[in-house]
Amino acid sequence: MNVVELVEEIVKIVKDTVPEYVVILEEKTSTMLKMANGQPSVVQSWKEYQVDLYAAKDQKIMASSFRFSKPDEAIQKTVKIIDKLQPSPLYAPLPDPSGKPYSLVDKTLAEMAITGDVTRLIEDLELGELSNSAGAISVSVEKRVLRTSNGADLEGARTHFNGYMRIFADDDSSGQWSWTSTKYDPVQAKKSISTAVNLAEECKKLPRGKIETGKYRVLLSPMVAGNLIESVIRAASGASVIFGMSFFRPDQIGQQLASEKLTIIDRPLMEILPGYSTFDDEGVATRDKPIIEKGVLKTLLHNSKTAKLLKAETTGNAGIIWPTAFNIEVVPGDLNDEEMMEILGNGLYATNNWYTRFQNYPEGLFSTVTRDALIVVKNGKPAGCAARARITGSMLDLIKNVEAVGKTRWPIEWWEVRLPSLLPHLLISEIGITSE
Amino acid sequence: MVKEVQVDPQLLTKAVDKALGMGAEYAEARYHRVTGFSFTLMNGFLIGASYMDSTGVAIRTIVNGGLGFASTDSLEENDVLESVSRAFKGARASSTIVKDRIGLSRERLGNAKYEVRQQKPIGSVDDSEIITTIQDIYKSLDMNIGIDVKNVLLGFTYNIEDKIIVTSDGAFIESRIPRVNMFYSITAERGGERANRWNQLGGTGGLELIETLKLKENLEDDLRSLKIYLVEAGTPPRGKMDVVIGPEVVGLAVHESAGHPSEADRVMGREAAQAGLSYRRRMKTGEKIGSEHATVIDDPTIPGSYGFYLYDDEGVPARPRYLIRNGVLDEFLHNRETAYAMNTQSNASARAKEWWAEPIVRMANTYFAPGDYRFEELIEGIKHGIYIKKYMEWNIDDYRWVARYVGLEAYEIKDGRLVRPVKNPALEVNSLEFYSSVDAVGRDLEFQAGTCGKGEPGQGVPVWFGGPHIRLRGVRIL
Repeated sequence: MNVVELVEEIVKIVKDTVPEYVVILEEKTSTMLKMANGQPSVVQSWKEYQVDLYAAKDQKIMASSFRFSKPDEAIQKTVKIIDKLQPSPLYAPLPDPSGKPYSLVDKTLAEMAITGDVTRLIEDLELGELSNSAGAISVSVEKRVLRTSNGADLEGARTHFNGYMRIFADDDSSGQWSWTSTKYDPVQAKKSISTAVNLAEECKKLPRGKIETGKYRVLLSPMVAGNLIESVIRAASGASVIFGMSFFRPDQIGQQLASEKLTIIDRPLMEILPGYSTFDDEGVATRDKPIIEKGVLKTLLHNSKTAKLLKAETTGNAGIIWPTAFNIEVVPGDLNDEEMMEILGNGLYATNNWYTRFQNYPEGLFSTVTRDALIVVKNGKPAGCAARARITGSMLDLIKNVEAVGKTRWPIEWWEVRLPSLLPHLLISEIGITSE
Repeated sequence: MVKEVQVDPQLLTKAVDKALGMGAEYAEARYHRVTGFSFTLMNGFLIGASYMDSTGVAIRTIVNGGLGFASTDSLEENDVLESVSRAFKGARASSTIVKDRIGLSRERLGNAKYEVRQQKPIGSVDDSEIITTIQDIYKSLDMNIGIDVKNVLLGFTYNIEDKIIVTSDGAFIESRIPRVNMFYSITAERGGERANRWNQLGGTGGLELIETLKLKENLEDDLRSLKIYLVEAGTPPRGKMDVVIGPEVVGLAVHESAGHPSEADRVMGREAAQAGLSYRRRMKTGEKIGSEHATVIDDPTIPGSYGFYLYDDEGVPARPRYLIRNGVLDEFLHNRETAYAMNTQSNASARAKEWWAEPIVRMANTYFAPGDYRFEELIEGIKHGIYIKKYMEWNIDDYRWVARYVGLEAYEIKDGRLVRPVKNPALEVNSLEFYSSVDAVGRDLEFQAGTCGKGEPGQGVPVWFGGPHIRLRGVRIL
């Protein structure tokens, strides 16, 4: 059964029982090559359907999700229970559909994903040459079909190529970098791998640096910037605001909350990034929009439900329940990498991080742990490579303290940056660092 | 016994046979189904509900020392057998640059069926009645406690996990594990200052867990903690001092700094680019990491636990694993792949979240073994220190060495007594300091439920972590 037939089957079950529905069916075929210790640890391959079903009746809401090619029983349960539910304060009528179909398929990627053969990846990226590497490289092709009760009938298809590689020059010297694209781009992938190699080797050459706990000027790599900006984006979701898990408030829209150097844009229509989509999960046309523009909070991200509760308009960012961005772009500055280091002067260059956690979401208090090369910079030059440290403070202070933005940008997506993002280096004038 | 299985086990056997026929050294087929129901309340109002059904078949093969995994959400024979070909192809391609051949340890494998009993079976009560039950618990809470409770997000989930595992070397395991999970996030404000508390409760069993997991008592206690944080808590003392940490913090600490670093795949570097490495690459088994009071165990067989299982996803029978025994580094957590590489035996740590996931080394229920101190005895010997009862923020570096736990409900201790609540004391400590500084261990034992993340694609699996109150001497508070 093809995807459209499967959607028809689901719509047939749903349409006579509930007046409002959204059926989203995603057919995805993907292959992932995982590396460890310089060799493949496993090749994983998936072929799957994911069905997301939204049903509403008398302002009662069900939003079910299935990863099974025959979810009939669960769909029946979904539409049967709805009469026994209570009206939801989140309910809003489905917005008029305005989205358009899209197709952004790279044939090379699609073929690699479908065959599950990683031989070409191994050869093109010269993976056999990397002596001490770990990482993951994924290729996928997906088709997405959306039907709604108010007439949306949309299809989208796209391919996805992303990966990340961690290189160890020795036990204490490593570098990690990532890439992402809608096209098969081995040149970009190799450039990212080379960056990881260079960071590892530079760290090995430098003397071991010792960091004292205190306030520092810190240059964030695109990897680190991506991870922290993802927290900003999550806080900008209307659902985070409604559920009390955001450091933004609706009355702050239009206020200068960040440095005027910082502009963050949700870019669903940026074709090179794999979050590309011309319609959201309610069938509304997507549009590129600044979330923070020259430091001013311009909008929260909304679907029809969060928009109703927060007295706004949908921004075309549905998630049925939780609005989210598609792709993230940070507008570049005009300084190259060397100039960024010069302006940093004395401080730290954090090249990678993980484990960002909040002590207090509404106050934005967080910490995150650096990993891989953490370079101590003196007079604009690398002077040492330090052990792991923590960046701690307030996310609102962090975005206020963006002092400079780099010119060169990298397409980033990995374990700790789930939203495909095009990012430069960011220089933070002051942030807390703790260390052993 | 196990019911509602949708696949004929013969199909799994056929898949395994096909892989062997193609030339695989090893093959494994796993039928894996997770079905469930969940809903979310916001301030007591139902905002939405959901059914889930995740069903499919996973195949693993080893070909010329390369490992391939493929899966499908179809139970049709053609699709399952096509997955065998994909797994075989992936394994063969990767074997071309494999230097150290992948293999599996020889084990005594299970041939068994088991099912977790439910006192109040899922399905015996209409799902809409469960919603009402949870709403009634919410309505019974006293919110007039002197702080402005802005938002209570409260989620409930039950699910049933069915598996059949067939391996080419003789394992056959059929299992059914039902679980209940509840979480909540409370946001409160006072005088312009805001705070929130997140908590998760979970176990294996039926709907009786709504009562036994004490949702109401936990909500009430956390509202009280937020009041203390917003109304009474002051700046904590900082510097080196004695610290008592409660079971919630102890459980998290042993999960992060004993459980994760003992995962053999992490030690071997298999997760180096994702979940990271381990200090146990440098510290050897048998080396001292703590005081004699420090014993950490991971045990999948605890009845009712959120991480419960009797056989792992490679068919190996489960047992308790001693990660730290009286201050000495002891076992790793092994699956058959890591056991083969380290020339030892698996201790049944292979778990896969769903049909789309490869079985990798995971914790189950990790805890600090209790001692014999009463709480009063733990603090009476402290001249000046801190008691951290609950936390919100935590993290640890990717070698699992330096961790940070920031208290939500915490108190200053003076002359053996709790004298005042304090706000956000940050305990930053490396794993050697942590376990070495333990000089007294409480007689209590409590567990927390958690969803432990690892793997690529990420696999969040249910675990418990816990312990008693413990006392740490001379650690750093920031």
